[in-house]
Amino acid sequence: MDIVIETRKLSKDYMRDENPVAALKDVDLQVACGEFLALMGPSGSGKSTLLHLIAAMDRASNGEVLVLGQDLRALNNRQLARWRNAHIGFVFQAFNLIPVLTALENVMLPLKLTGLDAKEQLEHATTALELVGLRDRLHHFPRQLSGGQEQRVAIARAIVTDPDFILADEPTGNLDAASANDVLTLLAALNNGYGKTILMVTHDPHAAHYAKSTRYLEKGVLLPEGQAPQDWMANSTSAPLPSRWVALSETRPGPQ
Amino acid sequence: MTVPFSYNIRNLVVRKTTTVMTAFGIALSVAILVASLALVNGLRTVFANTSNPLQLLVLRKGGNSELGSTVSIEDFAIVRSKAGIAVDRSGQPLTSQELVNVVNLPSLDNPKGMNVTVRGLSPVGIEMRKVRLVAGRWFQPGQREVVVGKAMAHRYPSARIAHRIRFGKGDWEIVGVMDGGQSALNSEMWGDFNQISADYNQQDSSSSVLIRATDPVSLDALKHSIEDDPRLNASTMTESDYYQSQTASGAPLEFLGIFVAVIMAIGSGFATTNIMYAAVARRGKEIGTLKALGFSEGSILLSFLSESVLLAALGGVLGCLIALPLNWVTTGVGSMVSFSEIAFRFHVGIAALSSGLIFAVVLGAAGGALPARAAAKKEILIALREA
Amino acid sequence: MASYLPLILRNILRNRRRTGFTVASVAVSICLVGVLFALTRALFFGGETTPGQAKRVVVHHKIALTQDLPVGYEQTIQKIPGVRAVTSLRWFGGSYKDPGDPKNRFAQFAIEPKTLFEVYPEFHIRQSERDTFVSQKAACVASRALAEKLGWKPGERITLVGGMLRATLELTLAGIFDPPPSDTSSVLYFNRDYLRDSLLPGDPRRDMVQQFYVEADNKDAVSEINHQIDDTFAESPYPTKSEPEEAFMLSFVSFLGNLKLFLAAICGAVTFTLLLITTNMLSMSVRERTREVGILKTLGFSDGEILGMVVGEATLIAVAGGLVGSILAGGLCTAIASAMRSAPGFVSVVPGLSLSPLVAALTVCLALLIGFVSSIAPGVYAARTSIVETLQYNG
Repeated sequence: MDIVIETRKLSKDYMRDENPVAALKDVDLQVACGEFLALMGPSGSGKSTLLHLIAAMDRASNGEVLVLGQDLRALNNRQLARWRNAHIGFVFQAFNLIPVLTALENVMLPLKLTGLDAKEQLEHATTALELVGLRDRLHHFPRQLSGGQEQRVAIARAIVTDPDFILADEPTGNLDAASANDVLTLLAALNNGYGKTILMVTHDPHAAHYAKSTRYLEKGVLLPEGQAPQDWMANSTSAPLPSRWVALSETRPGPQ
Repeated sequence: MTVPFSYNIRNLVVRKTTTVMTAFGIALSVAILVASLALVNGLRTVFANTSNPLQLLVLRKGGNSELGSTVSIEDFAIVRSKAGIAVDRSGQPLTSQELVNVVNLPSLDNPKGMNVTVRGLSPVGIEMRKVRLVAGRWFQPGQREVVVGKAMAHRYPSARIAHRIRFGKGDWEIVGVMDGGQSALNSEMWGDFNQISADYNQQDSSSSVLIRATDPVSLDALKHSIEDDPRLNASTMTESDYYQSQTASGAPLEFLGIFVAVIMAIGSGFATTNIMYAAVARRGKEIGTLKALGFSEGSILLSFLSESVLLAALGGVLGCLIALPLNWVTTGVGSMVSFSEIAFRFHVGIAALSSGLIFAVVLGAAGGALPARAAAKKEILIALREA
Repeated sequence: MASYLPLILRNILRNRRRTGFTVASVAVSICLVGVLFALTRALFFGGETTPGQAKRVVVHHKIALTQDLPVGYEQTIQKIPGVRAVTSLRWFGGSYKDPGDPKNRFAQFAIEPKTLFEVYPEFHIRQSERDTFVSQKAACVASRALAEKLGWKPGERITLVGGMLRATLELTLAGIFDPPPSDTSSVLYFNRDYLRDSLLPGDPRRDMVQQFYVEADNKDAVSEINHQIDDTFAESPYPTKSEPEEAFMLSFVSFLGNLKLFLAAICGAVTFTLLLITTNMLSMSVRERTREVGILKTLGFSDGEILGMVVGEATLIAVAGGLVGSILAGGLCTAIASAMRSAPGFVSVVPGLSLSPLVAALTVCLALLIGFVSSIAPGVYAARTSIVETLQYNG
């Protein structure tokens, strides 16, 4: 089986108020081709840092990252930008669509960097939007779409270049439960039906259920396969935090 | 490959109030620049239209102005006998001795008085120029009568047919209005050579002599023959050179205009920088996303730079539109050569307009450079975290 | 409002780069307005009039400067009450060496040597040189600027070939005079008797001059002298026009074109641009702070207090720009004035350009006004927006 992402003894320290903090400690991770891996852990466990290091958005303090067998540190900024365009699809928590561009134009954006001509760009983008079920929303601006639809546009944008893998950073973090299910179903379908390799960072156990496998990070340490932190598991059996907030707000007396 | 241009256009549209206000600020400095260039252009047109390329002006040695020059009757006779001078239908050589002076008259712009050229000439002098009578009649020999140029008739309340103007030794009646097209002649007043020289006590001399050569080769020969003639104490200038040199009369206004436009542009440039910095700050997350999608620093720099240039170009177009109506405005400046006022119409031509646009684009590029660089240099992770 | 000053200052300093660029932008425009104001003052309000100038009257032909007046007018004018001294002047307009070289072009006037320095007490010349000038008919004097330009020393032989006037003058430089520092013209004066004798015996211009310069006893007598002179000669074949020297100099300004309109248009455009720029900047920073405005409102700040803070912020920025701008304008005026010194033609008529305290104060006031006016729209926006709206606002 091909290894898409491999980290070796990856560490990341950064300074917070003049104190060094270890965000990641000797992380060894392998993601195989066709995998749908959920990376879980509470806030501050280092999961986003790991994602950023894999995408070469940040520099490791120690260790190395090999993506598709290549060490990205050897690339300059411009090469790196092109490399991301060709090999990675990003899905962000806050969708990050360009507000002044329509859904179709947002999806076409990464294609501007490819050799495709205008007609092909249009075809590819339309196909991608069709795939995420937004055939009828091509010319809508982001503000005219619901959160779930926005995230689906973002996913279409992530897959339109046919990247080698997708990095999703809390893709359901800003969504209600129903929309979150739609998005996760879509990601699972992309993995199952199209064999897309997906690495998803999340702190929501429900989201992790959609993945084929789950790995846990705790205080910068990647736990061995199949092992989950005890207190984290205990917590996750109860209702997730956001719905508790909802319950709280419902019990508050209304304005009338 | 670059970030699509529509991204920049839409962003300018989204913050339309800011865009319009910034563009307007740029527009005003562009308008002032275009106006200054149009002024000199108009002046140049007027002087270019005044001259005939085959005509030569004979002045005293070293003279550069008709007003400060004198050519005697004897000298005139010698010049008249030279070979290579064109003749009119009746076989007379096209040589005109002329007396030039100035008269101070109140004008619309200067109620306290402005100098007008008064030119004494004979019928051959009229024949040698492209003028036609548009009202009244020509002056009669031996009479205190003058014909005024069309521009003068418009700008000087006292320059109306049947009005009298006092100069020399008496009152002169205005008997006609002439039109010399867009030329300096339209700002002059013409009368009989003999009568005017008598009034100015200069019967034995004229200010200048205008001659027409048969062709460009004889023009050159004539020039040398006159300047090298030991009997004459004269120098020559082609009519074109003589009038071209007067275009410099517009230089102080042009200088002032360009000076103002450049300083205003510096102010507007700072404003543009501010606007673009704000745009970069507001769109931090978009910049991060674009980077994550694979757009290089260069494309992002280019994108923000083109947005700033587009904004300034919008101002440039607006400025050109503001300056365009000047095409129908007539004004006057004093010529330092003729010591009198030349009326002319602003000429907003392609050259002035394109200079205005280029000026705006340069302003936009300069004002947008720092913010565009800041956008390109944004760290991807920091940019993505921005609100 | 003073108690909110710390908060206003904090807001101004929050985005230092923006404040910096806004202040720079205002400063540049205000600097321009300052220079234009100074120019307007110099051109149309006479700039600094020297005491000598205020007492002088120029008399010329009513119809044009180029027309002649009889030299005999001098005696008539001398008898008018309040007149201390009279001198005459005739423009010679001859050529020196190669007239094609602009360096060799300078003003040449035939005058009466005895009275010249009486009417122009501010021209400084050595007594010995002055005596030579008065006693020798073919002597001449040059202004310091002219002598330096052409490298002349006393004793220099200068040949002028006449244009309008057919005469060739063989002059000897008797001395060099120093006019006041603001006057940097290249002028040569020579004896009018020498010119008279050089013209042909029948030339009607032998006994004609072009201008008289009259020195009054005091400046209050000037206007009465003007009337007296013009009334005396009104019915003669050579009517005159008399005007204060200052007004006479200004009449050359009209040669530059319709400057008044031009300057007014530019000042209007600059002021308008300034308003646009400051309004724009302020709207931008107020919009970015919409949420904070909401918070201030929930804390109990009134709409009026919020409006006051925005107005205060704008005024402070504009005044800062105005101060920097008028300092720049002062420097620029000095620079232009010194650059003009070598400028040819009528431009050198522009008297010493300088930013007077009054003009400086006026420009700062304009900046203040602009700051105030530009803050109204953004201030009212901030004051009017409801708390709910402001708190929902996302940058």
